[in-house]
Amino acid sequence: MPALFQISEPGESHAKEACTTGAVGIDLGTTNSLVAIVLGDGKPRALAVDEGSTLLPSAVHYGEGGGPGSVVVGREARRRAADFPHDTIISVKRFMGRSSADPETRRLSPYRFAPGESGVVRFLVDGGRVVNPVEVSAEILRALRTRAEERLGIRVQQAVITVPAYFDDAQRQATKEAGRLAGLEVLRLLNEPTAAALAYGLDKRSRGMFAVYDLGGGTFDISILQLQEGIFEVKAVGGDSALGGDDFDRALAEILLEGRQRTPRLVREAIDAAKAAKEELTRAEKVEVFGRTVTRAELEGAIWPLIEKTGVAVRRALKDVGAKIDGVILVGGSTRVPLVRRYVRELFGMEPLADIDPDEVVALGAAVQADLLTAESPQHDVLLLDVTPLSLGLETMGGLAEKLLLRNTTIPANATQEFTTFADGQTGMDIHVVQGERELVADCRSLAKFTLSGIPPLPAGLARVAVTFQVDADGILSVTAREQLTGVSQTITVKPSHGLTDEEIERMLLSSIEHAEEDVQARLLIDNRVEAQRILKATEKQLQQNGDLLLPEERTQIEAQMAALMLATQGTDHHAIHAEIEKLDHASAEFAQRVMNRGIERALKGHSVGEFDQSEMSPHAKKAYEALRDK
Amino acid sequence: MLDKFALLGVPQGFDEPEGLDEKFRELSRKLHPDRVPAAQRLRAVEQMTSLNDAYKTLKDPVRRAEHLLALRGVQGEPKMSPEFLEETLDDRERLEQAKTSGGSVEELARGVREKRDQTLAAVRELVQRGGDLAQAAELLARMRYYARYLDEVEGRSAEI
Repeated sequence: MPALFQISEPGESHAKEACTTGAVGIDLGTTNSLVAIVLGDGKPRALAVDEGSTLLPSAVHYGEGGGPGSVVVGREARRRAADFPHDTIISVKRFMGRSSADPETRRLSPYRFAPGESGVVRFLVDGGRVVNPVEVSAEILRALRTRAEERLGIRVQQAVITVPAYFDDAQRQATKEAGRLAGLEVLRLLNEPTAAALAYGLDKRSRGMFAVYDLGGGTFDISILQLQEGIFEVKAVGGDSALGGDDFDRALAEILLEGRQRTPRLVREAIDAAKAAKEELTRAEKVEVFGRTVTRAELEGAIWPLIEKTGVAVRRALKDVGAKIDGVILVGGSTRVPLVRRYVRELFGMEPLADIDPDEVVALGAAVQADLLTAESPQHDVLLLDVTPLSLGLETMGGLAEKLLLRNTTIPANATQEFTTFADGQTGMDIHVVQGERELVADCRSLAKFTLSGIPPLPAGLARVAVTFQVDADGILSVTAREQLTGVSQTITVKPSHGLTDEEIERMLLSSIEHAEEDVQARLLIDNRVEAQRILKATEKQLQQNGDLLLPEERTQIEAQMAALMLATQGTDHHAIHAEIEKLDHASAEFAQRVMNRGIERALKGHSVGEFDQSEMSPHAKKAYEALRDK
Repeated sequence: MLDKFALLGVPQGFDEPEGLDEKFRELSRKLHPDRVPAAQRLRAVEQMTSLNDAYKTLKDPVRRAEHLLALRGVQGEPKMSPEFLEETLDDRERLEQAKTSGGSVEELARGVREKRDQTLAAVRELVQRGGDLAQAAELLARMRYYARYLDEVEGRSAEI
């Protein structure tokens, strides 16, 4: 017996696809993360995902037991940070793609580190669990995904994730890996300032040369973009991947901690107090924290050297572009600090734009790009042309870096250079890929090392090896080395020297299965909610069109069951929703049969197809209907 | 050899072709991997890579001139004259002196910038009047030296 909802949804599979999956934009920030989506009206919106706020603090707390539910993300995690400084990872973005040997790593944190195979940072958290930054970031992404799904009642499987323009290859790879681990198809890694410009550009329909000054929690980016005829061309990027509002907090915390015995807990509390004081001081002239008075002048004195550091990158980017700037866009919560605004105004000689919430603007732009990349007819006709943030090169004789692709080259891009052997009979060549602007390899970032073997033994200088760099639209590099005579070649997608090994990625994917149970629960809830909405709508429609087939008591019964289902969807128990769906199904079965019979009767009487709306039928019902009609 | 002027649909010439930016944007809109169906994406990445490269070449006066000479059959690394090499050593020495003694680097840079502009003008003259292209190539090769010199001076002042 066909249930009502089965004959109700036109073009079922297609319709379900269109209204139950979505591509979102995610700003995976150092301090806060956000998720946004472009809805039917073409406007991007940030979703409230944490206690009514669009900002999800990028904090992950690993609680007791390690079972499902022991991982807490967001405000709740942040609240636990003071009590559990070791088990609550904050500002994990700073550790992405970083080596545990990096001095920056140790300087930063109250965390306990675990030794590991490949130099990747590993945090030791509650119960002896060991997690790496990619896994911690994946928890944040997973929280954003599931909370967005709950809010929207749709599945979220695709995302554009933003990264600081200045992120190097290792940091980009790590971010992409985190997305994969969170069950997301990463459509694109988008540079944050570019995303911000996208959000502004659509708003203002403007053209010209724009500078985006992006000072977030942990990173500083400067980008110069040209906007013309719907094309955003990134002209230059620069920045500092370890400079941001967190440093302001720490600088102020240093003052608060003067003359005190430092414990991890006290340091954490001082940093929190400093953060609160900093925010308060954007409005007030002085504030009481940590048992003392802090004036705005004191704060400004502490952070001035940090703010000045941004000027270096800005001047270099301006020089790279060599053109007049028409507007300056402020991005990132740290641009709320009055001293920062003053500095930017002086640096560029103009009043900066800040009409879109600087915390949300990046996520909004990412949502626009996600829409551009997935919608069959995107809401906006815009194309982004981005650039490589840092020069890419190879180590040559004497430890020098030979640059193949210069920074600010528009991507996708490639470059080829030939090298020759330097010893007689040499059959192998070491390829060392580096990233950075400095002359010496030792001063650049080492990305990968591999050996091309099988070169025919020839006198020195005769064998020729062509090395080709290809950078894709995500800014990720692959390198091919090819010996010209024999055609021996080798290609690698660059895995950073201190990045994750394949085994580690494997292990992470396996351990993410531990989360599978939670994921399944969340998924079932969403699926059932979506299903319930469909049935409710369908029943509603049939009541309107064919209500005359029912006795008043029958109608009341169906309506009561609809109300019960509606109530169940408000809850989070997917079993309950499912049970109510079945009950409504049952209650309306007889009605469905009558509707069906009416259709068949009409068909047999030779009414035209137009009189009975076929699009209302399931494929199954349609077939039956057509079979009858043909007779 | 791939004619990058033809790829962008602009006439060959020493000066920046008129409408180059518009052509680039028009082709980007057509070829960019973001704008094509998934099945064509791999090819689009290749095409866009070539387009980006061609545009970069034609936007830069020195690269554009080098490409033009290559299209006209001038091949291989030109031999630099001993006089020029001597001149470069002198320039370097003066730069080092200025740095160690704290003298004005800017004045030296201005001198080199002037030489650079004069050299490029001379190349233009040779190319447009149908002069000795081998000589033009030798002059053009000097541009790299000037660029490196100026990078060092300006790069440093930008770092400060």
